[in-house]
Amino acid sequence: MIADHDIPYLPRGVRVHRDRVRDAWVLLAPERAITLDAIGHAILSEIDGTRSFGEITAALAARYNAPAEDIARDSAGFLGALHDRRFLEVHS
Amino acid sequence: MAWNKPIIREIE
Repeated sequence: MIADHDIPYLPRGVRVHRDRVRDAWVLLAPERAITLDAIGHAILSEIDGTRSFGEITAALAARYNAPAEDIARDSAGFLGALHDRRFLEVHS
Repeated sequence: MAWNKPIIREIE
């Protein structure tokens, strides 16, 4: 599980892309892709390779005016799923 | 927009 001090980043070759055919945001990796909903895109938009998971969830909590613990739980699950599938790496 | 649990769909 990702911790507050961990710094998530997109590894080389992985990028967020607007798919005009699907009219959706997608996360592209070599020979693989996933579609993102608005919340998934919002989480990934906060990832810049320098900010910690705690900083990211605090920013999202302010942006969505939602309980920080809900955002931390959902974001950790989302990013953990991406990490398991090698769409995301983490500096500990 | 309200916060919801995010969804991932893999394109295969």
